[in-house]
Amino acid sequence: MNGSSAEAAERLSRLWLVIALVGLALGLRLFQMQIIQGAEYRLAAERNRSQLIHQNAPRGRIYDRHGEALATNAPAFSLIFLPGKSRHRDDLTPLAAELSRQLGQDSAELLERLQEAVREESAVRLAENLPTPTMFRLSELKTVYPGVDLIVEARRYYPHGRFASHLLGYMGKMSPREWRERRSKGYRVDARTGKMGLERLFENELRGRDGGIRMEVDAQGRLKRMLEKIPWEAGSNVHLTLEAATQKAADEGLRASNTGRGAVVAVDPRNGDVLALSSAPDFDPNALLSSDPEEVKDATAALPEYNLAISGTYPPGSTFKPIVGLAVLNEGKASPEESVFCPGFYDGLAARTFLCWEHKGHKRVAWLQGLAKSCDVYFYTMGRRVGGAAIERYAKLFGLGRKVRLDLGGEKAGHMFGPETRKAAGKGWYEGDTLNQAIGQGELLVTPLQMAVATAALANRGSLWRPHYTQKIEYADGRPEFVVKPEKLGLIDAKPESWRLVDEAMQLVVSSGTGGAARVPGLTVAGKTGTAQNPHGDDHAWFIAYASKPGEEPSIAVAVLVEHGQHGSSAAVPIARKVILAHFGMPDPNAPKPRPAVPALLPAPGVPGLPGPARTL
Amino acid sequence: MSPYRPASSGQASRVDWTFVFAVSGLLTLGSLSMLSAASTTSFYHAILQKHFVAMALGLFLFSLMLAFNYQVFQDQSKFLYALAVIVVVATLVLGKISRGQRSWIHLGGFAFQPAELARTLVILALGDFLDRRWRRAADPSTVFWALAIAAPVMALILKQPDLSTTLTFVPAITAMLYCAGASLFILALVFGYGALTMSVPLIYTILQVRYPGAAAGSWPDVILSTSRLGLSTLAAVGLFAGASALAWRVATWMRLQVKPHVFIFVPLILSGALLSGIAVHKQLKGYQRNRFVAWVAPHTDSQGAAYNVIQSQIAVGSGGLLGKGLFSGTQSQLGFLPERHTDFVFANVGEETGFVGSAAIVGLYMLLLWRIVTAARLARDRFGYLVCVGLAAMLTFQLALNVGMCLGLMPVAGVPLPLVSYGGSSLMITLWSLGIVANIYARRYALL
Repeated sequence: MNGSSAEAAERLSRLWLVIALVGLALGLRLFQMQIIQGAEYRLAAERNRSQLIHQNAPRGRIYDRHGEALATNAPAFSLIFLPGKSRHRDDLTPLAAELSRQLGQDSAELLERLQEAVREESAVRLAENLPTPTMFRLSELKTVYPGVDLIVEARRYYPHGRFASHLLGYMGKMSPREWRERRSKGYRVDARTGKMGLERLFENELRGRDGGIRMEVDAQGRLKRMLEKIPWEAGSNVHLTLEAATQKAADEGLRASNTGRGAVVAVDPRNGDVLALSSAPDFDPNALLSSDPEEVKDATAALPEYNLAISGTYPPGSTFKPIVGLAVLNEGKASPEESVFCPGFYDGLAARTFLCWEHKGHKRVAWLQGLAKSCDVYFYTMGRRVGGAAIERYAKLFGLGRKVRLDLGGEKAGHMFGPETRKAAGKGWYEGDTLNQAIGQGELLVTPLQMAVATAALANRGSLWRPHYTQKIEYADGRPEFVVKPEKLGLIDAKPESWRLVDEAMQLVVSSGTGGAARVPGLTVAGKTGTAQNPHGDDHAWFIAYASKPGEEPSIAVAVLVEHGQHGSSAAVPIARKVILAHFGMPDPNAPKPRPAVPALLPAPGVPGLPGPARTL
Repeated sequence: MSPYRPASSGQASRVDWTFVFAVSGLLTLGSLSMLSAASTTSFYHAILQKHFVAMALGLFLFSLMLAFNYQVFQDQSKFLYALAVIVVVATLVLGKISRGQRSWIHLGGFAFQPAELARTLVILALGDFLDRRWRRAADPSTVFWALAIAAPVMALILKQPDLSTTLTFVPAITAMLYCAGASLFILALVFGYGALTMSVPLIYTILQVRYPGAAAGSWPDVILSTSRLGLSTLAAVGLFAGASALAWRVATWMRLQVKPHVFIFVPLILSGALLSGIAVHKQLKGYQRNRFVAWVAPHTDSQGAAYNVIQSQIAVGSGGLLGKGLFSGTQSQLGFLPERHTDFVFANVGEETGFVGSAAIVGLYMLLLWRIVTAARLARDRFGYLVCVGLAAMLTFQLALNVGMCLGLMPVAGVPLPLVSYGGSSLMITLWSLGIVANIYARRYALL
């Protein structure tokens, strides 16, 4: 360089040093960002460009014992909104207005959810289970508003609709508290969980692992292409011991009964399989999954919470008499031939006179007629002879007043009634109590389920099976099937002759007594009607029965309770008949022929009209 | 000493082929990333067309510069300076407003940014000025006059308003003054004052961001209150004076050999910087303040001004060693990366070609700058030496600002990466300027 000096060269070198330092700094920063922190940034870029669209996994199916699907899944369209990365969207208000019109949801609420989605930069589910016409109309919105999309996913579907609703339960959204407890298990805030019955009990088994689609989105939130499909995993299938036909007959029978309120429990006396468990009023679980929020709201408001089959407690009334009768025979306190004179009332106690339901009196009745005609005076007399403690013991042997632990929420124990229970409560026992106890009134409270279990024990002559509705669980994850083994709660050790006589008496009730409406040609049906005293209104109607093909063991035991049904024979018996017919796969003649009544024995069929426990003359 | 030497057969051998390699390497990488980055824009073909036309014109200018003696520019420096003033004035008068800036002139279908041209012209004019004042280079008046020459053009560009382009003058002028032999003390004083002035609004902005709702009486609030030019500003000036007086007393008591006028100048400079800083603070545009904020605290508003900074860093970092491949960068192809073929093109390179590609660009730039510095060292006259220094400093600054911005080291500034970013004016003027450098190199032995 002309005129250069050592000074100028020196300064140029320093300038080059600065330039080189700049280059070095940039190079080091590049190395730091791309090589050292590259993985972090790659994650951030991946988060940027992809949106996970969640897809509900199909829940495990629930089958009846013959493999008929009771709860399954149907494809459903859901409307989702995927916000872009830009926070400045000015089309949310018109979008909310448009959606509000199409979906019938509140526009302000929709707007809030859209805005939240934009804030959180995550997809939101705006509506589920869209009906087809709505879906087609909404699919046009996709082109106008970026981020709006429709996805298909599995939705719970109950093919039978209003069917075993209390047993199957329903699906519903979680409360914020429930969600907080469950979020660690991977539940999404808008997930539905089983809310009642089996759906709740088997939530962990039925629930599958949700899947999703990872979509590439651009900066505006438009879906570009599918990156990855995360397959869902269906839940485990649950097979029930239930018989769809029997259950249906029970449901329909209750619905058609005179009050429409009550419960039916049918079990297999050979192993405790629950064949039907019905409670009315019932509901359609599909309605609770509707896409119309109004319908869901109405259905939720009208939801009958109580499963009367396990939560309803009633005095057993005369359906308790077979157990007392068995006690009388088995304790050897009376021979079957010993008769009692029934003038229509009992005055063996000085304090009070106890009426027989048949005010005209049964005249002379021995054990068989006493039970078949349900003569109160016979049971007052023999009950006193056997004693309250023995009756209580037999009631306990039959599992009354005690939970069977069915694992369905809300099961009630009922209430035991007898000198021992009184003593445990620090109260005394009086002879009058024994009289009430002997005819199934008083403080004894049982559930229809307990009665069904007891009836099964009468049918199989002594085996108290624990009722169960699960046959097996087919695990989706490859675990071996879980098969439920029948479990005996107890054994009632009585003489075969006693069992035979009880069976004979109960067959008489059906063939020529108050249970006549349950007679089915070609089947051996045994039963007992009852009336549960209800101080708050009309009496409840009971009927317990078991049936078999001639020469075979009974294969169904059923307990029917119709709340306020008044008369067991007219309200409860026809339902049991339908259930039995369905169980044996026999056609139900729509207009049942009037049974040839036996006026001599039963002038007014099915008017038990038992006297109240504290009724004084 | 004949200033002119005809281009001879020896010309080719005098061309710095390493330099040409660096230039063509940058042009190639730049064009490749542009092909990819612009592919998602709606004017893809128009952009490519303009880019390659500008590149052809630029290469023509580059070759043209090789063909005749650069000393013509020194002879005509007054004319060149006048041209610089004329084009920036013309821009203000005739320019079209685009994105709030009046920085474009439309010439028969071509939009042109005259500020780019003016910058090189000012460097040429300063080269001539400093060459003629070589003997008095250390004189404080040299710095003053050099600034006085650049100031009108800078002021006019600032008026557009284009702060970033105005700022690119500063390193060029500083480097030229330094390499011309200006007094380091005067330079430090001038640029120290400038830096102090600029740091005042920066401090205010940082305080405003970090302590948004500072309670009255708390220290951030007390400092911020000085920006309102009231009693507290006066108190701050008084504080400087008082502290200085105290320091003077301590110094005399300790019998330190400190010149007494230091205790007058320091508080004066501090107070002056504070006042001019407050003035700049009041002049700051909203978007400029946002860019400051985005740089200082990028995560305070990830969707606002900081969005670009974050997305650019994600793009570069996610490229890893080898990149995602051209046309496959998710950040740029899906629109997360803003300005991906212009100001943020380096982020696109980083994402799609990874460390290999982005380090190659920085490396080629270093090669280019090394060759410019070499050209300066070998230049046959002081004018050539100074012009090379000015251009090297300017390009370094642009590199640091643009790449630094993409890497989150610098605040967001609308500075293109020369030779790589899309921008016809920048490309053509840069190639023209580099042609001058090539010419200076080629004629290094001419005087011997």
